Amino acid sequence: MTVKIVGFEVSPGVLSVMMCLHELGVPYQIENPASWQALKDEDFIANKHPFYNNYSGKIPVLCDGDYTITETRAICRYLVSKYQGKYNDTILIPNDVHKAGLVDQYISYEYSYYTPPVAKLVVEEVFHKTSNPELVETSQKEIDKVLNVYEKLLNGKEYLNGEFSLADVLHISYTHFIFSSTKYADWWNKKPNVKQWWDRISNRDCWKKCVEKIKF
Amino acid sequence: KRNKMTIRLIGFGNSVCTIRVILCLKELGLSYKLTPHAGGYAALKDKDYLANEHPFGKVPVLYDDKFKITESRAICRYLAFKHQGKHNDTILIPNDIHEAGLTEQLISYGSSYYSPAIEKIVMQEIYEKDKGKTPDPVVINQGRKEIEEVLNVYDKILEGKEYLNGKFSLADLILCPITHYAHIAKHSDLWDKKPNVKKWWNRLKNRDAWKKTLEDAKNA
Repeated sequence: MTVKIVGFEVSPGVLSVMMCLHELGVPYQIENPASWQALKDEDFIANKHPFYNNYSGKIPVLCDGDYTITETRAICRYLVSKYQGKYNDTILIPNDVHKAGLVDQYISYEYSYYTPPVAKLVVEEVFHKTSNPELVETSQKEIDKVLNVYEKLLNGKEYLNGEFSLADVLHISYTHFIFSSTKYADWWNKKPNVKQWWDRISNRDCWKKCVEKIKF
Repeated sequence: KRNKMTIRLIGFGNSVCTIRVILCLKELGLSYKLTPHAGGYAALKDKDYLANEHPFGKVPVLYDDKFKITESRAICRYLAFKHQGKHNDTILIPNDIHEAGLTEQLISYGSSYYSPAIEKIVMQEIYEKDKGKTPDPVVINQGRKEIEEVLNVYDKILEGKEYLNGKFSLADLILCPITHYAHIAKHSDLWDKKPNVKKWWNRLKNRDAWKKTLEDAKNA
């Protein structure tokens, strides 16, 4: 098989790409780097992903034969362009330009409004294992505002754009850690449309396969 | 050749994201009508606006005839996929899957690393100043360090290239407005220090579409 993810199966970005590959039916391998520190090695920076911060370099990186591409959402868009419809019938980005535009809009909502507060909380509490009651309080307010919007967006809809799409996929991995490793699932569950949406997307076969692979 | 469709844009002439969409429209050779939202930025939180235009209270919002779409990068992609190559030769997202993927990667570098670093400074130097507050020197120093680190990477990316992915693309376009504001905020020295980055910005700001965009933004 030619598709390889470089990364760790606990990174929400890596999990999003895995979910995308499963949904499209594309076989793939995962290569674990030697360590998180190794992501800042000269070789990795030069040949895989050029950005890094104090903690580590960046994953996922996707290798498709000779082709290398980074950044989770860019990787997913590429995979959809290349493989959608080739292994199965699943449509993650509709062919109709207007529907595709709306999926892109919802991906932007995910990136701009949903993921930042959720990720901040997950990274602190779940990955860094720090207890920060002030952060929990601010996160709850922010996330509640966002979920109020989502509650309206999901009115009369099973998925953000009506049909399941890449926009829903990209919401899954960080939210999973809220449900699996924190006490804050309630913030989602108390909103009926949001709860149903989460139950629907987190119970997809493909996501269950990804969860089995989480190394945490 | 006039396009018969009606593109209407809700936004403001001093909004980075609105300017981004105007630039995209100009690059694609599309005409449009800009409607500022009555009541200004404060009115974006009105119940009406949240219910009918943008649920998170943001600009811009684009109407292509009856089709409504929000979020500037999503709007730009939509415009590219629908209109590119129809009114002129400008291709914003390459047709080749692999080149398109690299363009998307660069767009993501812009959202993840380039824009956030600059936004810190622009918020302080322009938006806070507008509200009558003094820019925080600590935040500005930190912002400058971050920008420098990002521009180090961009200088390497641009080695031997005129634009981020070789040919001009959406990846370059998206970064024009925020870069322009960084220069207005008097931090152009950071771009001038890096030879490839300096040439790249010079190229971008001399494009016809950018000049026309600045005109439209001024008159908005």
